[in-house]
Amino acid sequence: MFFNSINFVVFLPIVFLLYWFVPNKSKSSQNFILIVASYYFYSCWDWRFLFLLLFSTLLIYVTALKIESSISAMSRKFWLWVSISLSLAFLGIFKYYDFFVTSFSDLANGLGLHVSPILLKLILPVGISFYTFHGLSYVIDIYFKKIKAERNIVDYSLFVSYFPLLVAGPIERATHLLPQLKVKREFNFEKAKEGIYQIIWGLVKKVVIADTCAIYANAVFDNYNAMNSLSLILGAIYFAFQIYGDFSGYSDIALGTSKLFGIDLLKNFDFPYFSRDIAEFWRKWHISLTTWFRDYLYIPLGGSRGSKWFQIRNVFIIFLVSGFWHGANWTFIAWGFINALYFIPLLLLRRNRNNIDAFKIAFNLESLRIIFNILITFTLTCLAWIFFRAKTISDALSYIKRMLTDLHFVPQYFKFERYSYEIIIMVLLFVIIEWNNRYKIEPLSGKYAWLKVSFSIISIIALGIFTDYKNFIYFQF
Amino acid sequence: MKKFLIFIAKLLFITVLSAVLLDVIYTVVYLKTSDRNKITYVYSSKAKNFDVVFMGSSRTQNHMVAKLFNDKGITAYNFGMSGSKLDETALLLKLMLEHNYKIKNCFLDIDLNLNSNSKSEGTKALYMPYLHNSETIRNHYKNRKEYSKLLYIPFYRYIKNDVKIGFREMLFSMTNKKSNSLENFGYFALKGNGKNMSYDLSNYSPKRNFAYEEIKLICKNNNIHLIAIATPMCQQCSSDTYYKSIKSIYPEVYNYESKVTDDANFASCGHMNVKGANMFTTIILNDFLQNKFKN
Repeated sequence: MFFNSINFVVFLPIVFLLYWFVPNKSKSSQNFILIVASYYFYSCWDWRFLFLLLFSTLLIYVTALKIESSISAMSRKFWLWVSISLSLAFLGIFKYYDFFVTSFSDLANGLGLHVSPILLKLILPVGISFYTFHGLSYVIDIYFKKIKAERNIVDYSLFVSYFPLLVAGPIERATHLLPQLKVKREFNFEKAKEGIYQIIWGLVKKVVIADTCAIYANAVFDNYNAMNSLSLILGAIYFAFQIYGDFSGYSDIALGTSKLFGIDLLKNFDFPYFSRDIAEFWRKWHISLTTWFRDYLYIPLGGSRGSKWFQIRNVFIIFLVSGFWHGANWTFIAWGFINALYFIPLLLLRRNRNNIDAFKIAFNLESLRIIFNILITFTLTCLAWIFFRAKTISDALSYIKRMLTDLHFVPQYFKFERYSYEIIIMVLLFVIIEWNNRYKIEPLSGKYAWLKVSFSIISIIALGIFTDYKNFIYFQF
Repeated sequence: MKKFLIFIAKLLFITVLSAVLLDVIYTVVYLKTSDRNKITYVYSSKAKNFDVVFMGSSRTQNHMVAKLFNDKGITAYNFGMSGSKLDETALLLKLMLEHNYKIKNCFLDIDLNLNSNSKSEGTKALYMPYLHNSETIRNHYKNRKEYSKLLYIPFYRYIKNDVKIGFREMLFSMTNKKSNSLENFGYFALKGNGKNMSYDLSNYSPKRNFAYEEIKLICKNNNIHLIAIATPMCQQCSSDTYYKSIKSIYPEVYNYESKVTDDANFASCGHMNVKGANMFTTIILNDFLQNKFKN
């Protein structure tokens, strides 16, 4: 069941009505309705994976209680590692086993050793990376005594399986979400209205921007050998907006949906394409994952303490792991590596925390410098996205080589008479709207809200892509 | 909560109103369009007279050079539509008759389309703007899946077929962007010739086709001389059995499959290039002039 499907349009109001209108409304009944709804939501993909989700939930629930009740440090550590290693083992088997085995056999064959790999060819359970990381953050927080282990299994299960965040995040923290699940939620009109606005804007991002850009991006990436420099540049830009519209659109719908139930989720995007350097980009892109890696990997590794070489090592580790988290393919690792390369100069020059404050644009040289930096950062990001989108590293390199050497800038036509100009206008309009609303949660509230909402609905109906359906990209991770 | 439910009701109202308005705008634009494709051409015209019309799929559109007929004083037009199946061809013929077309001879390419009774969703989409305005189109689709949704849910037909009749096509229609499918009396020329062409018809088997039989009936009832033909394929095409089987089901089909053989005359295995199309149409024209198609 996708957020932009008719099924969800039916599912959401039913859950909403049950949640708020159930007799003897209490925190327990609210959580019970949400957990049943969440398991139904998840089973719509493949009911068999529900068992994996239940196992993962129980594993973390039990080991967390064990850690808390352990008296000795050794025992606490033992249960922590049981929890982490089993969780990662499941993730590894489903997501990475075939990749490692294939890579190893390729290497062995390259060395002249004949190896026939045994592949599992398992279907990747949707959202496995997200709910595994949910559980890990919880169990690590308990180990470090940041929070108490949750004894109510329904409340804990809801923390892991809450349907708005179950399949593609945001990756929640127990410190943020669990306290909200422990109290009865009261309906708040303003919050619910904001949620609806976020859902509408998320749909605009997904079905109007991302799915339209996807048509062009796919056409370019799938036929890059026949494309000229202009098309290849546009292809990379379209993909940048496809993945942004897709994932931040999903996150907006998730956050908006959750607000309807009186629950706030972590902000996942903060207009990343208006970043002035790569460090700022990573503070604004997939924030819940970035902060997860910061808190549970980077800082335990030493973070920015120690020698420069130590810091550089830590940066490479965090970016490579982040790339690898996205998928079992060398392209994702290359994408992480490139981002690390972008980040290192900022770290060495101690400029990685230069652009933390908000900025204003006026008619002066400083503003020109900011705009220039934003454009440079966006260009670097687009270059890295080529690796993310390409099927292989060699495809990505050929793409970039052709883009830089072809030097033909005549617009190339694609099928269905859909050519480049209209999408450029659409993307520019989208950028202007986002820019003007970059300090807001969504651009629809405020003055002329009904007019903006009406235009958004019209654009979803008239400009949205409904037949050439595109799945949310991050569902595969 | 009451405030929120009113808010949702307002949103639903805006959504429905937007859908109705968009439906009206799109439909008005398409009703005023005449030169985007062969369906808009037929829908916007009235009482045309043709000695010969060519109907079928891309194998008609790319093969029948109607100009060669017109040069001989025979009023002809190629109504072949790329991607169309016989079902949509039957509807186009019915639409022509609804618009008082007078047709003497109808060449219908049926060969590969006899492999199944399938329908073309892409070509069907092009009929959807006229669903409320044409009884013929309504009657044709009334027993089909989603008919009620397409007819009664505002804008659903445009959302469902956004690739073919969505915003972009509406924009092109509104700005009168000409389509090359209507140039050259409907014939669309393919250039160049394909490399390593082949097509495997061994899994194909001609079947009784209900749309073809409907076309036969329409022609019979309207005194149109129907000439069903099978057109050429490239050299590397295992087609003998298939074409022989067509004859066993529909003996009236004229088999021209082997009339053009050299691959130099093909743009792809199933589609002749300009040279091949001219050669083939000349053969058909000569046979037509020599009354070889008389019943």
